[in-house]
Amino acid sequence: MALLKVKFDQKKRVKLAQGLWLMNWLSVLAGIIIFGLGLFLKIELRKRSDMMDNSESHFVPNSLIGMGVLSCVFNSLAGKICYDALDPAKYAKWKPWLKPYLAVCVLFNIVLFLVALCCFLLRGSLESTLAHGLKNGMKFYRDTDTPGRCFMKKTIDMLQIEFKCCGNNGFRDWFEIQWISNRYLDFSSKEVKDRIKSNVDGRYLVDGVPFSCCNPSSPRPCIQYQLTNNSAHYSYDHQTEELNLWVRGCRVALLSYYSNLMNSVGAVTLLVWLFEVTITVGLRYLHTALEGVANPEDPECESEGWLLEKSIPETWKAFLESVKKLGKGNQVEAEGVDAGQAPEAG
Amino acid sequence: MAPVLPLALPLQPRIRLAQGLWLLSWLLALVGALTLLCSGHLLVQLWHLGTFLAPSCPVAALPQVALAASAVALGTGLVGSGASRASLDAAQYPPWRGVLGPLLVAGTAGGGGLLVLALGLALALPGTLDTGLEEGLGTALANYKDTEVPGRCQAKRLLDELQLRHHCCGRHGYKDWFGIQWVSSRYLDPNDQDVVDRIQSNVEGLYLIDGVPFSCCNPHSPRPCLQSQLSDPHAHPLFDPRQPNLNLWAQGCHEVLLGHLQGLSSTLGNMLAVTFLLQTLVLLGLRYLQTALEGLGGVIDGEGEAQGYLFPAGLKDMLKTAWLQGGVARRPAPEEAPPEDEPPKEGLPEA
Repeated sequence: MALLKVKFDQKKRVKLAQGLWLMNWLSVLAGIIIFGLGLFLKIELRKRSDMMDNSESHFVPNSLIGMGVLSCVFNSLAGKICYDALDPAKYAKWKPWLKPYLAVCVLFNIVLFLVALCCFLLRGSLESTLAHGLKNGMKFYRDTDTPGRCFMKKTIDMLQIEFKCCGNNGFRDWFEIQWISNRYLDFSSKEVKDRIKSNVDGRYLVDGVPFSCCNPSSPRPCIQYQLTNNSAHYSYDHQTEELNLWVRGCRVALLSYYSNLMNSVGAVTLLVWLFEVTITVGLRYLHTALEGVANPEDPECESEGWLLEKSIPETWKAFLESVKKLGKGNQVEAEGVDAGQAPEAG
Repeated sequence: MAPVLPLALPLQPRIRLAQGLWLLSWLLALVGALTLLCSGHLLVQLWHLGTFLAPSCPVAALPQVALAASAVALGTGLVGSGASRASLDAAQYPPWRGVLGPLLVAGTAGGGGLLVLALGLALALPGTLDTGLEEGLGTALANYKDTEVPGRCQAKRLLDELQLRHHCCGRHGYKDWFGIQWVSSRYLDPNDQDVVDRIQSNVEGLYLIDGVPFSCCNPHSPRPCLQSQLSDPHAHPLFDPRQPNLNLWAQGCHEVLLGHLQGLSSTLGNMLAVTFLLQTLVLLGLRYLQTALEGLGGVIDGEGEAQGYLFPAGLKDMLKTAWLQGGVARRPAPEEAPPEDEPPKEGLPEA
């Protein structure tokens, strides 16, 4: 009993072939779009790789790029097949290749679905990479004299301005690290000497933040230093002040940015996957309909198209049998060769 | 009545003209679309920077006129491509015959006029921009501290965002901030002696300091930003205000914005010039094609010698014929009126 049988007359077959040809070329466009999205994602990750300790995983954008290229190749090939399907002479040369090609298509669709799923799942690994990378980045903020790290200050400042965020989890992260380079500290000043002596590691810690944490929406000029000292500033209460600095941490800001990006890319990939599945199903019907043409001399006759020749459990059994036969077939051949060699030796 | 600028157009040159015209028309349509996008972009940029331009400055006129002119150019290009394609096919040409004349007039008058106006505005813009920006930025700087005054409360945020995005400080330099009070009086401690001294020492009672807002800070600087006591060489270690440094943005916002907007409007002006050239060529080509085909009575593949011209006669002759035609049209009016009354009366009883 065939699975999902559909009757096809000549007109329907021609319409199916033409429709599939058009869909295949649209799908080549979709493949180019996937390739472009993968490239865009890769560039975005590279732009901020300083914030992720250069250890971020490029698996998702690389696989999207690969899938886009493969999709273009497979779909243009399928388009050519559909174009030739209307001409029995040309179709004859494609006939032996169609079954393995359909198997490859099914495999490609499964992999595309997995890649789309990965887009949604990348968020977890990105979170830990970002937390680690931002912490290290902030530690190197003051090393503007060290070659290899001298751009970290500029990178973090631009990041905090662009993403409207401050610190790793919040602005208090800046209180725990020394972000002012020793080169610009006046060691003859008593205040500086006291601060350094009072710290176990000899670091100069302040309850202040860099200027890039300032929020332009605040009605008063930005307060950057002595943030926890209410008496240092007129009419200031650090417990209730919300508009002075950016409240969000940069980890959350970057994570939400990348999550949104990945979610949209994942959604587009799923849509393209659905399209590809439709094309594969249509191609299968075309294949079986053309196979079912009983009389090759009479192209006008009706034929039947189906997805699978037998029902699913029977097809699975037949598949296992054929795999066993393959194994047995090798054994029989080997025995035959031995038997053939033995008389020769004898 | 000699035709103006006649040109002999037998079949082969006519076909060549039509094909070349088709190509030129698509090129005109493309350039028109690009100019449309460019003027839209300029309009959006001017809208964003609206607070920093004096309201009396009619700067928005250029992108609006350019938008209209490029839309007309796009239309001319599409019409030209359709007409030149139709002129090669005998079956498709008749519907174009009646429409082409008025379309050419509309294209020349409307499109040409708008383009010339837009080009003129593009040349005149830089002067108005300069004064407009001067006034607008001055007002914005003065309103920086008025975060409590309705109507001006966004000035601080907008100016901070401008300085952060365009990498500039003050009007012509960071010292502009020393001359205005940018700290709101609400956040000044009346009991602080330093504050009282500063206010009293100023003629107008303003609280002036040698400091700048945080948005002037340059992230490329190797040291944390120094915003206050900028004129005092001993206030910060290793900092001498007389030495050039990366601490603050060096450029003033006036220069930066002027350069940015002038660049955009000069690009737009160049594109408008190219559009004008292409539109003239397309309209001329269409006119010659139209008159040549009229001479053949609308028969496309006629092998006869057709002549294309710009105008059927010189300007004086045309005005004379138009005047005579107008006089002839006015005389038979009373005779025409009674027959016009009868058909409606016949129509009513039937209905």
